Amino acid sequence: MVLFERIGFFFQAAFQIASDPLHIAILFGSVLLGIIFGAMPGLTSTLGVALLTTMTYGMDTATAMLCLLSIYVGGTYGGSYSSILINIPGTAASAATALDGYPLALKGEGGKAIGLTTTSSAIGTIISMLFLVCISPMISFFALQFTSFEFFLLAFFGILISGTLTSPDLVIKGWIAGFLGLFLACVGRDMLQFYPRFTFGIPELDSGVEVVPVLIGAFGIPQIIQILKDQFQIGETQKFQRILPEFGTILKNIPKIIRAALIGVGIGAVPGIGEDIAAWVSYGAAKNASKHPERFGKGEYTAVLSTEVANNACVGGAMIPLLNLGIPGSPPAAMLLGALMLHGVTPGPMINFEHPGFIIEVAAILLMASLSMWVVGMLLAKQVVKVLRIPTQIFMPIIGVLCIIGSYALGMNIYNLYLMLPVGFISYFLIEMGYPIAPLVIGVILGPMADENLRRALMVSQGSFLPVFTRPVALVLFLIIVWTVLSQFQFIKHYKNKIVGKIFPGRAAKIELLPKISSKPSEKK
Amino acid sequence: MMEKDKLRKTDIYSGAAIFLFGLWIILQALKMPMKDSWGGVQNVWYVSPAIFPLFVGCMIMLLGGLLCRIALKTVGFKAFGQTVRWLLSKNLLQFLNSLSNLRYYFIVVLFLSFVFLTIPRIDFFLSAFLFLVVFITSFYLDDAILLKKLFFFYLAGIIVLILYFALGLNDPLGRIVPFAADILTICFLVSYSVYAWLLVRGNPLLRKKYRIAMIVAFVSPFVVGMIFKYFLLVPMPSEGLVVAVTDYLWYFEF
Repeated sequence: MVLFERIGFFFQAAFQIASDPLHIAILFGSVLLGIIFGAMPGLTSTLGVALLTTMTYGMDTATAMLCLLSIYVGGTYGGSYSSILINIPGTAASAATALDGYPLALKGEGGKAIGLTTTSSAIGTIISMLFLVCISPMISFFALQFTSFEFFLLAFFGILISGTLTSPDLVIKGWIAGFLGLFLACVGRDMLQFYPRFTFGIPELDSGVEVVPVLIGAFGIPQIIQILKDQFQIGETQKFQRILPEFGTILKNIPKIIRAALIGVGIGAVPGIGEDIAAWVSYGAAKNASKHPERFGKGEYTAVLSTEVANNACVGGAMIPLLNLGIPGSPPAAMLLGALMLHGVTPGPMINFEHPGFIIEVAAILLMASLSMWVVGMLLAKQVVKVLRIPTQIFMPIIGVLCIIGSYALGMNIYNLYLMLPVGFISYFLIEMGYPIAPLVIGVILGPMADENLRRALMVSQGSFLPVFTRPVALVLFLIIVWTVLSQFQFIKHYKNKIVGKIFPGRAAKIELLPKISSKPSEKK
Repeated sequence: MMEKDKLRKTDIYSGAAIFLFGLWIILQALKMPMKDSWGGVQNVWYVSPAIFPLFVGCMIMLLGGLLCRIALKTVGFKAFGQTVRWLLSKNLLQFLNSLSNLRYYFIVVLFLSFVFLTIPRIDFFLSAFLFLVVFITSFYLDDAILLKKLFFFYLAGIIVLILYFALGLNDPLGRIVPFAADILTICFLVSYSVYAWLLVRGNPLLRKKYRIAMIVAFVSPFVVGMIFKYFLLVPMPSEGLVVAVTDYLWYFEF
């Protein structure tokens, strides 16, 4: 598609949404629901997208995407409310916002902080949308050159990197979670020979493990158990004044916004890791680059701005590998992948041929979602904050019913419930023992892709692994995987620091002093 | 998540369990056709359905072993002895009887009974109402003694329901009384509500919480159920007395 045609189609898609009252109602309703899900500690945007997916299967693809992307955008932003007002991150993505947002609320500047997060979140989403539109054709073109070996290695890399970066304890646990997900993906008849694997003669397992019930079970049930078992209580909300867009602060910080957006898009595009890591990295980068790093943690506006731009920029970033390679960039994007498949859209390099203009349509939805998020944030923040008064003991059981009816509604199969519940209980124990859940889910989603492509690749090469070393992209991916694994070994870390220290004196010590990203205070994902 | 020390101790066991699980995957995968004929097709190893499970099993086994080794290196073999001593001491009983664990058992029993017992057999609205009434009252009242009492009352009711279905009483009774299982559930719901009321009636704060819990538990399944059944056209997992009434009202031609 020529550039002007693409721009024309983009505005046409945006206008179509804006001119249809039903679409507008769905847009604002979903954004509001997303903000509520994000603001409520214990509920996440992933769970919001998962639960809403079950309600969209009767809609057409565009409307379903409008609904799900709006809840995703709203959920990522909504977490900042509870971070700023009660010092409890509504979502893991907004944990970094609490560091400076809450001190601002204590100073009586909560309204100003929420205004700033609202505008910066909208800007973050819009910048990431621009990246999605600009980068997608290049990645799609590049991905068309991929063969089965590259796709297998890409899926494998996605699981490894997700395990490496999301593990709250040892990295090895992240990898184990990823491989457990891959095992779950093996259950059912294999796609090439239709041989039943790990089905134990149960006919319901022949079609394999359904992704959506696994996702709902893995994210929903442990959350309910954790919150009710540990008697989690929401603290008192700080009072705040009028909310203003804070354009002045935004204009003063344009370079910082661009840096945070780039971090958000970049981290969002890495398979399997999401908004929380983007926010922490952006916070760290803002602090390192600041002339007054001592102000961070005491109520610094640039800190709030950097984290919120980055976590919302992750939304568009996560869409880039999802739509062009079929690899989800974040846990909510994994849920979106399930929803897209439910609607007959298979993301991947062929998406531009099978569904021309779909990526542009997604970009238009992102733009509309960010604008409606800004409007809702400016006008309804005071009302939305009231939901924080609902006791967790009341809304968590209702979430339990929604998880159950949601898992059942997809396929109207009661067996999904029999699968969802054990997955939920096992996930709870895994979380308690320091295993991350995101790699497990990514494993379930990428498993079939890895399995099929490995065998197809070996079939083409007659059982030879040589193409991994003769094909440039496959070789690069292979080397990245090897480096990802080796870099976790202590002696490699030691030598790396030694070499870095010799080349850039003083830098090695700084690297050692940097906190490990995964040791963030929130383990909500 | 647990503290680092405890984590390393549990890592020994979780690592060993994961190692064995990986071994089991490999053993199962080895039973799959590698070079044999399957469905009239002669297999070669690289297209065998076993290749990917073998790879996954090997990796799980390797990583489980590594985790176990790291944990043993950190806490040493002494941790074994400590764990065995702890398992044989009174501390285990105290741990199992702790309030936090009681809450956990309650949540597990509630979910298991909802998914495996009531949803497939009892009208969805009734089973969801029962689930929410018990769940919200037990946790929202926020009182350890009440939680214990309500848990054992619910457990007794669930045992009655299990016996009712396990002894096959539903079919003969269903022929005489329509919606027999649903009526039994209503009786259980009423008796639970009365029992909970008797427990809270002396305390004005608990009485208020009880009222809120009952309203939320009654309204939520209807809102959720109505959306799924009549707007998204999803038939409920089990449709009985309440669905018959709502169907009658919904499709009634005024």
